[in-house]
Amino acid sequence: MIEVFFYGLTVGGILYLVSIGLSLTFGIMKIVNFSHALVYALGPYILVSYALKGGESYILGSLLGVLFVIPIGYVVERFVIRRLYGVGIDLAIIATYATLLIGVDVIKFIWGATPIPVSDPVGSYLMLFHSRLPLYRVTVVLLAIAVHFFVLFFFRKTMVGRIVVAALEDEDGVRSLGISVGKYFSIVFVLGCCLAALGGVLYAPITAVHPYMGLSILLLSFAVVMVGGMGNLAGTFYASLFMGILMSVAGRIWGPVADTIPFIVMALVIAFRRRKV
Amino acid sequence: MRLNEGILSGHWMKLVLVLGIFLLLAYLVTPFRVADYIIFCIFVLGFDLLYGHMGKLSFGHMLYLGTGAYFGLFLGNLIGHNPLSILLFGFLSAFLLGLLVGSIAVRTSEAAFALINLAFNQVGYFLVLVPLNPWTRGDDGLPVPILNVGPIDLNVPVHRFFFFLVFLLLVLYVLSRLIDSPFGLLMHAIRDNELRVNFLGYDALRYQWVNFAISAGIAGLAGAMFGLNYGYVTPSFMDPHRNVEVVFASLIGGSGNLLGAVLGGIVYMLISNFIADIIVRWELFLGVILLILVFRFPRGIWGFVSRFSQGRNRT
Repeated sequence: MIEVFFYGLTVGGILYLVSIGLSLTFGIMKIVNFSHALVYALGPYILVSYALKGGESYILGSLLGVLFVIPIGYVVERFVIRRLYGVGIDLAIIATYATLLIGVDVIKFIWGATPIPVSDPVGSYLMLFHSRLPLYRVTVVLLAIAVHFFVLFFFRKTMVGRIVVAALEDEDGVRSLGISVGKYFSIVFVLGCCLAALGGVLYAPITAVHPYMGLSILLLSFAVVMVGGMGNLAGTFYASLFMGILMSVAGRIWGPVADTIPFIVMALVIAFRRRKV
Repeated sequence: MRLNEGILSGHWMKLVLVLGIFLLLAYLVTPFRVADYIIFCIFVLGFDLLYGHMGKLSFGHMLYLGTGAYFGLFLGNLIGHNPLSILLFGFLSAFLLGLLVGSIAVRTSEAAFALINLAFNQVGYFLVLVPLNPWTRGDDGLPVPILNVGPIDLNVPVHRFFFFLVFLLLVLYVLSRLIDSPFGLLMHAIRDNELRVNFLGYDALRYQWVNFAISAGIAGLAGAMFGLNYGYVTPSFMDPHRNVEVVFASLIGGSGNLLGAVLGGIVYMLISNFIADIIVRWELFLGVILLILVFRFPRGIWGFVSRFSQGRNRT
């Protein structure tokens, strides 16, 4: 049973990394950002091509993957997301989805459409209460928790983070203080992209790398964000761990239901929430 | 009294125009392929009733397409294998499911509305694929028996083409009347400002609920027709990842306009059918087109045409 919980925590941790950026984009701009799935997939592809070039170090490859999405994230923010201010949610969805389509096709053009497996970079196990936990998954969980504390620190103590938190509460108020919210938002957007790429890089050894890998996890992250609350980071953290464990436990009881249960939870939460979103 | 765009606003004019477009298309592209376009246009029309005319973007309309296809087949098979009964039950089953899901979904708006529909779609897809596997046979799909309707032999592509075309014109006529009715005007009012509609004393939620179910029903009709056209039904009829197709088609044509929806359906099908033959990276091409549309022509082809034809900027 400990293993099941632990696997759930791993998935939850990955979901959390992906959801941060989504939650912030949701909270600040009221946009459903499909292009998030693109940066999520790009990270692992950089890792793969680094490994194919003969790179030995998994850590260095991951770092390259995470850093590579910085310019990509910036370009997406500058030329697509920023121009979506004030247009309806429908156009925003279509524009970000179009960006995803373009990006996925470029990925197919460069790396091909066949899934690429990535081997477990650690490979050893940790024995805990008579259950065998892959050390790699332990690292993923610890990393997710570390990122959570980093994010909390970032939004509570640094200037950029505090401005963004204030803008989440009252954007016009922050604007009238003479602060250009857009500039700070683009920093946070790129940060969200990096974390999504990190999530992708960490998840790659557990599944395989393929062009559409972002789409299914993106849909799960939407569920997480809706349950945790848009723009609410602590809520997102707990919601993603809860969803991860729920998926894992449900998957143990009846395999096929694992991918669907987050959506059932999400539908229930949306349906019975008092506040209208 | 008509509040629609100036040219071609009469009900009959629309029908004649659409008939002409499809006859021309059938001549150019063969009736066999165009039958597909017709059904997709019906789906877009139903979707646009919700999105363009009421301002609510659903991201789970494939649920109703699939429901119509499956239930139309199941219930239609109980009462002989008449294609008309398959279509009727396709419409009714999706309409009822729309009433059920809509009672929850219309309470939300914007992103929550789009995503709660996606959630229901995902659940429906799962149900069809796994727990209902003994009846739906999962990915293998089910064959749809194709029989004659009177003198019309649905196995002949030309007959099928005209059979479906009649249904498209029927749906178009009904929707055209519906949108010009007080109900339709209320839909537009809800799209523009829901709060004010409530202030006027209407129960906006109830109207949205009914409209949601009608839109779902038309999607179900389209699903049953797809089943008849292909001769089989598979879970891909309900695949949540395919929701973007109808959203794209609606945007390309111009949302909130019946002719725009038909135009969008045709253009999307042409792009996905033929561009794929010419350009290998057609998804990239589609993505670029969509970005240009969103940022340059957010009202779609029809919005552009109607603005051009009137010679002034009306926004």
